[in-house]
Amino acid sequence: MADVTSSTQRDATQRPEIDRNAIAIALHRRSRRFGLFFWIPMVWLIVVAVACIFAPFWGLPPADEIDWVYIQSPPVEGHPLGTDNLGRDLLSRIVWGGRVSLTVGFAAPFIGVGLGLILGLIAGYYRGWADEVIGILIDAWLAIPGLVILLLFSVVFGGSLFMVCVSLGLLFIPTAARITRAATLNYATREFVLAAKAMGASDIRILRKEVFPNIIWPLIAFVLIDIPIAIVVEGSLSFLGLSVKAPTPSWGGIIAEGREVLSTSPHIAMVPTVVMFLTVLSFNLVGDAIRRRLADVREGAI
Amino acid sequence: MGDIILDVRNQKTAFVTARGMAQAVDGVSFTLERGRTLGVVGESGSGKSVLSRSIMRLLPSNALVPADSRVILNGRDLTRMTETELRRLRGPEVAIIFQDPMTSLNPVLTIGRQITEVLTFHMGLKRRAARDRAIELLRAVGLPQPDVRVDQYPHQLSGGMRQRVAIAIAIACEPDLLIADEPTTALDVTVQAEILDLLQRMVRDRNMAMILITHDMGVVAGRCDDVAVMYAGRIVEKAPVRDLFHHTRMPYTAALLASIPKITDPPHRKLDAIEGRPPDIINPPPGCPFAPRCLRADAGCDAEKPVLAGTSRHQWACLNPLGEEAPA
Amino acid sequence: MRYLLYRLRRLAIVLGVVTFITFLLVNVLPGDVAYEMAGMDSSEEEVQAIREDLGLDRPVLLRYAEWVGGVFVGDWGTSYINQENVWEAITDRFPVSFELMLLAQIIALSLAIPAGVASAFRPNGRADRIIGSLAFASVSMPSFMTAILLIFIFALGFGWLPATGYEPISEGLWANLRPMILPALSLALVEWTVLMRTLRAEMIAVLQENYIALARAKGMSNMRILLVHALRPSSFSMITLLGLQVARLLGGTIIIEQIFGIPGVGRLLIHAVYTRDFIVIQGCVTFFALAFVTANFLVDIAYAWLDPRVRTGGAHG
Repeated sequence: MADVTSSTQRDATQRPEIDRNAIAIALHRRSRRFGLFFWIPMVWLIVVAVACIFAPFWGLPPADEIDWVYIQSPPVEGHPLGTDNLGRDLLSRIVWGGRVSLTVGFAAPFIGVGLGLILGLIAGYYRGWADEVIGILIDAWLAIPGLVILLLFSVVFGGSLFMVCVSLGLLFIPTAARITRAATLNYATREFVLAAKAMGASDIRILRKEVFPNIIWPLIAFVLIDIPIAIVVEGSLSFLGLSVKAPTPSWGGIIAEGREVLSTSPHIAMVPTVVMFLTVLSFNLVGDAIRRRLADVREGAI
Repeated sequence: MGDIILDVRNQKTAFVTARGMAQAVDGVSFTLERGRTLGVVGESGSGKSVLSRSIMRLLPSNALVPADSRVILNGRDLTRMTETELRRLRGPEVAIIFQDPMTSLNPVLTIGRQITEVLTFHMGLKRRAARDRAIELLRAVGLPQPDVRVDQYPHQLSGGMRQRVAIAIAIACEPDLLIADEPTTALDVTVQAEILDLLQRMVRDRNMAMILITHDMGVVAGRCDDVAVMYAGRIVEKAPVRDLFHHTRMPYTAALLASIPKITDPPHRKLDAIEGRPPDIINPPPGCPFAPRCLRADAGCDAEKPVLAGTSRHQWACLNPLGEEAPA
Repeated sequence: MRYLLYRLRRLAIVLGVVTFITFLLVNVLPGDVAYEMAGMDSSEEEVQAIREDLGLDRPVLLRYAEWVGGVFVGDWGTSYINQENVWEAITDRFPVSFELMLLAQIIALSLAIPAGVASAFRPNGRADRIIGSLAFASVSMPSFMTAILLIFIFALGFGWLPATGYEPISEGLWANLRPMILPALSLALVEWTVLMRTLRAEMIAVLQENYIALARAKGMSNMRILLVHALRPSSFSMITLLGLQVARLLGGTIIIEQIFGIPGVGRLLIHAVYTRDFIVIQGCVTFFALAFVTANFLVDIAYAWLDPRVRTGGAHG
């Protein structure tokens, strides 16, 4: 009864029954297949990834080399996307900046989910005071805006790529820990785990063999959601100049520099904005398609 | 013959599902006259509720109704109407009472508001007049302290009182046809009779026609004029209530009748539930849908789908009906 | 009632943990405020003198206890950089941030409610798919990107709205609102998608309810069913989310205030971070945590207004 309209308008479109059967099933199947909304973003992501990973081999000028001839220039020969306000090649900066974004985008969720997994397993498996303490820590974590946590960390621990990955990863702990805890609670009391306990299996072994395989899928789905978020947050941080230290380029940083000259050379801010937008959108679309597929596989619909 | 309020002709309703087409109502026809009550009886899944929603044209978007199905209410064909035209009929000409009064009233609106909105929309009553009328209606359905209750929310009422409110909503615009879809199934046994009596009185006083849908043969016994027994989306037997009870033709009806607990039964006697399950309506068997569970079924029943036959007074769909014993 | 007490105790502990962790963090800052105050070419002795002057050489735990004691009597400390009273610094700027957040949330809701209702009306219908795609695009645009795009189009392109700046309300309502529109919009264009998706999901479920079927059977129009019968019971998750979003919004204001030059708490915090003025950082973080806790408390009250079952306590079942 989800639809508030009547079915009157459909009455006329009656077709032979077999036919409609086939159509209904085919429609259902098609909505589950990887379509253009999966493959187009996938291709874009591959292009971006290849461009960034093999950045040193494209013969681009170094990202921090200043070309005194062309300062804040529109696209010219030698600078296919032009130069920024210091005369640095924009394309080169975007490609090298992408390395930062992609590294953080993949590393941070894995760090966060990894730590969250451990905390969630402890809280859900041992319960008691461990559960209580971890619960309070997570609540405290959630009561501070994520960006504020990152600001603190960036000042305290400095702007190395490694620290940016770690501190961004911390943002994903609470949700990952909650998912793990709920799932562990659910599985730790099931018969097969109790049976394993009765047979004298160690806690570590039970967690690894019995509980872990059952919670890995929701966590993979969660990582897929987190990748674009990590890229966005790193962008915000580097936009504030609190991510990796200059002169290492990063997308947020290039956009922040471009903002200064938005009225005279809008392309400096707009090109990295578009690249970053397309990349984040692609991660969202691909992640969404994979998650739906994962859900289907687990439900046994295919 | 009184005047005919409702004429349903060859109503078919199917749903598109991931597994295929589910034929929930499969060619149902009947007429209903003013002042009479038709009982529709069947197990859950027999298509009773879908039939009631098909009559009201209240189907979800994945429902398919073929073009030759007709629902004629007061001489007008509902299948040919637009949504706006239908909206004007729902309330003043046909109203429905649902099974579960716990879920059929809106939890965030007061009782009064849920009654008055019908009155202001369909009868053009002003706010104050609608409120007075709502209190009057609540008094009519036997709700104590109607002037207090009118400002309360559904959760503050008991199940029986909620169903009284649902009845008040249904009769607010004096409809010609009232559909009661298992109105007492969700209620305590002690309240059931009260609600059924109330319904009966309301229908008689206002000279309405009623379709009383239930799975309980005991409910139909004293309160209906005619009974239609449904199985797998079809009417399998239809007769005035007395004929149906005393000259049962369809083995399925007989099985339903046997499942009524009797006062004369010894206590703790096991109920005669019907063996087996209703057929899969997505892949129905080719022959009589009841054949797999029927004690009288033979090879012919598995091959041929029986159609409604008999007199205009008593009809049944069975190849080996009761009361026509083949000579031994 | 017992649950409420449990929640309150838990909130108090959470606030304690938040302030303590923050205190620890800002006090292990490698370059502390003493360097900043002493200037570039000061000697180690001078720095040490300033440190002792500020009491920074005493144990962290002791200083934390002093700070907490101060907070309870309304003394949040004094900025090391400009001697400003921290509590006053925050409360002076908070109305500005609050206005920004409120505007953003109003815009987000006025986008999310119609969009959510329209997509829930026919799931997978045309409207649903268009709105879903817009939401996907919208959520892929962080607020700083949206801000730059909006500035580029509406401030630089059309020149309709100022790119930066802030006017107090004393200059008139429109003068005050005009420079706030773009910042609020930048925040709202990210937040509305979450609200919309939550409302849509819950509304699809509510539209399956029997009381909606009864409302249709009563002959009510689609519009009336959606807005009068379905919207209120569908908005519980969305209201919860409004509370949780306060944390995200506070984070968002930091960046947006920076871009648009709005003198709010976010800018105060960023400035304090750049200058390592840790007592101000400490104050801001504590204030944010308090704001978050308060917002979620208000959400609980909003429930009572939305759901008569909570409000009247339920006489029967």
